[in-house]
Amino acid sequence: MLCLPGRIVITVLVVSLALVGPGCDSGSSGGGDDVDDFDRAAMLENLADNVIVPAYADARSSVEALEAAIAAFESDPTIAGLAGVRSALKTARIAWQRVNMFQFGPAESTALKASVNTYPVDTARIESNIDSGSWTLGTIDNRAAAGFPAIGYLVHPIETADEDVVAAFTSGTHASDRMAYLVDNAAFVRGAIESTADAWTPGAGGAFRSEFLSASNSGTDVGSSLGMLANALVLHIERFLRDGKIGIPAGVRSAGVPRPTSTEAFYGGYSTELAIANTFALKRTVFGTSTAGTPGPGLDDHLEALGAGELSDEIKSAFDEAIAALEELDDPLSTQIASDVDPVLTTFTELQDVVVLLKADMTSILGVTITFQDNDGD
Amino acid sequence: MVARSTMRKLLNHQTSSAPLAVFRVLFGFIMAVSVLRFALKGWIAEMYINPAFYFTFSGFDWVAPLGPAGMYALFVLMGLSAVGIMLGWHYRPAVMLFFLSFTYVELIDKANYLNHYYFVSIIAFLLIWVPANRRFSLDALRRPEIAAETVPAWTIDIFKLQLGLVYFFAGLAKLHPEWLLEAMPLKLWLPAHADLPIVGAFLTEPAAAYLFSWAGALYDLTIVFFLLWNRTWPAAYAAVVVFHLTTAVLFPIGMFPWIMVLATLVFFPPAFHERVIDLATRLWRGAVKAPRTVTGAAAASSPAAWRPGRRASLALTGLLGVFFTLQILVPLRAFTYSGDLFWSERGYRFSWRVMLMEKAGSTLFHVRDSQSGREWQVAAWEYLTPNQEKMMSTQPDMILQFAHFLEEQYVGQGLADVEVRAESYVTLNGRRSRLMIDPDIDLTQVSRIPGHRYWVLPFDDTTGSWISRQ
Repeated sequence: MLCLPGRIVITVLVVSLALVGPGCDSGSSGGGDDVDDFDRAAMLENLADNVIVPAYADARSSVEALEAAIAAFESDPTIAGLAGVRSALKTARIAWQRVNMFQFGPAESTALKASVNTYPVDTARIESNIDSGSWTLGTIDNRAAAGFPAIGYLVHPIETADEDVVAAFTSGTHASDRMAYLVDNAAFVRGAIESTADAWTPGAGGAFRSEFLSASNSGTDVGSSLGMLANALVLHIERFLRDGKIGIPAGVRSAGVPRPTSTEAFYGGYSTELAIANTFALKRTVFGTSTAGTPGPGLDDHLEALGAGELSDEIKSAFDEAIAALEELDDPLSTQIASDVDPVLTTFTELQDVVVLLKADMTSILGVTITFQDNDGD
Repeated sequence: MVARSTMRKLLNHQTSSAPLAVFRVLFGFIMAVSVLRFALKGWIAEMYINPAFYFTFSGFDWVAPLGPAGMYALFVLMGLSAVGIMLGWHYRPAVMLFFLSFTYVELIDKANYLNHYYFVSIIAFLLIWVPANRRFSLDALRRPEIAAETVPAWTIDIFKLQLGLVYFFAGLAKLHPEWLLEAMPLKLWLPAHADLPIVGAFLTEPAAAYLFSWAGALYDLTIVFFLLWNRTWPAAYAAVVVFHLTTAVLFPIGMFPWIMVLATLVFFPPAFHERVIDLATRLWRGAVKAPRTVTGAAAASSPAAWRPGRRASLALTGLLGVFFTLQILVPLRAFTYSGDLFWSERGYRFSWRVMLMEKAGSTLFHVRDSQSGREWQVAAWEYLTPNQEKMMSTQPDMILQFAHFLEEQYVGQGLADVEVRAESYVTLNGRRSRLMIDPDIDLTQVSRIPGHRYWVLPFDDTTGSWISRQ
């Protein structure tokens, strides 16, 4: 009995070696035939350096340009200045479509998406903020009264001639507060996107890129980089693209009654264009394609390496069909919904196909965990 | 007559009370740790306070969360009773309280069902009926007259039997063509760990999936016999440790490996547990510098053996007989149902089917107001937590429950008659996802009462697989 603990320890060691041993052999004698050796780290590096970081850099410069255009409009409020603001806003909102799905890490901890792009916009709240002459952007109360949709409302009032839009910022009651609200929102959006972009940029003291690429996050559990990315993509496509941009305005959440004013850029009138930009960006992320169109290792290659090349083909065609359906829709999307909602519902169905393939099939093949809770593996 | 005397011998055979006492301490300890871990992870709120809807068990629909204060109080009670079990302090009320509070919580929501929670409930239930506090406990210290050096052997053997059933049924479940011939789902799960040091590269090989599948099945089916045999138990226990540590590294299964590693110590011979108690007692005395009196006095003045009275014996025999008969029948009930078990999951719970399949799904609900003729869609994420949604998406009974919940929601909003249909895509063990629920059937017209599941589409293996199955 005395030597019992010793015997146990030795037996544990022997059995462990027996289990681990073949691992060492096979590992060094080259990969198997059925499952290619796939470099997950290289895929994550490609996604970080050629997709995510450049997209944040674009988003950052576009919101800086928006802030500059608004500053120019403030010092010289003309119709030409207004046009400059409108075009800078549209550019920035399109650039936003290429980063809004990366809602993990710094974007998640600052609730970036909810801060800068909550819609439909709360116009009554905006007007009461302006009337009161004081406001704090970034609070939960002001979420629907801040960010891109708020700027869109201010510079694209419905059925207002351009000179009257400019006049609202220059003369009349609360004109200076209205201008200040516009300026503050530009600074707020720029600050929020800048801080997330910084966190991803190695030179700017950003630590998140190295965290994303660190060996300790290279697994497939829920906190791993692949786990965060796959969960964020699936969640975004389902809740924010399929439902938020298309389904909810088409009435899927309001007992079938369309809500055209719930479109993303209701005032700007380019919601369809934003949805198309977002779908393209999601497809590029899944396929590891850079913003410039250069192919690189992505989730499709990962699936292929696991023997599921057919699945990545199917995901590709599901994306293409969704984009084709989106391209059938006219802008403003609100007008399309009011005149003929059927093609919008078709788009919803096409996006649903993408959701199923990514949410069920892809995560299952990749072995990605979706919640932190313990499970039985079933 | 012979049978009766054999029976009596079986019931009266005495053995050292040490293994039972050590088992009680370890169980109380690991439960206290589990409750603390659960609370620290914020799961009390996440699973029992925040959700808008709970998937109740048929027959236990009355089991509902108790509100924030009530839930936290219940977990405090659960944690304290686990400590009570560990210390053997007011043992009987403590273990009853633990069993009731733990089981109540597990019955609140099917989405949180785990085989190891079921296992914990069972062990706690069995502990109610045995004299686990008559040795190495505060109760025996306070009341030396209850201390006992020996107890009937059955009070320990029932735990060995229960552990044996768990392993054996888990092994039987693995004797499935997908597990043995296709190495599914390990062929999907192991390559996900390619980043592990040393073994990572091997895990991407199909050979690894086959090795782990066959070794796992062999382990589950035979381990209890090797643990029982006095020539193999040390090596068998080493295998227990290696097996459970491996699963702990590879899969997010929480406390289960640690519970099993501690629980299987009950198979060790009494001498081992005597030494553990002896050592712990000496360490404790050294720590508090207590004179060596208490246990000595207790042992001298207390009856050496504890045995239940005749009536109690009879009652316990009946109770445990029924209990273990159910333990054998319940896991086998799946064989009385038609349809593919993995697909329909009828008879899947409470059967020790662990780590058996990779299943994932995506469900969209189509609602139609039959008065206005309007149709719309509902995504479950609006009402469910990610875990609830994940669990529901692959389990037909939960999809049906959620459809009924949606109906109630709309009736509450004043819609007189809504129809709810489910578009439910499910992938099983790497197969192409396909519809699991008949999308044409209005689920509000389907009863939850068990019956023919005409609304679940039959499993169809001809749709193909994304990955090579050989």
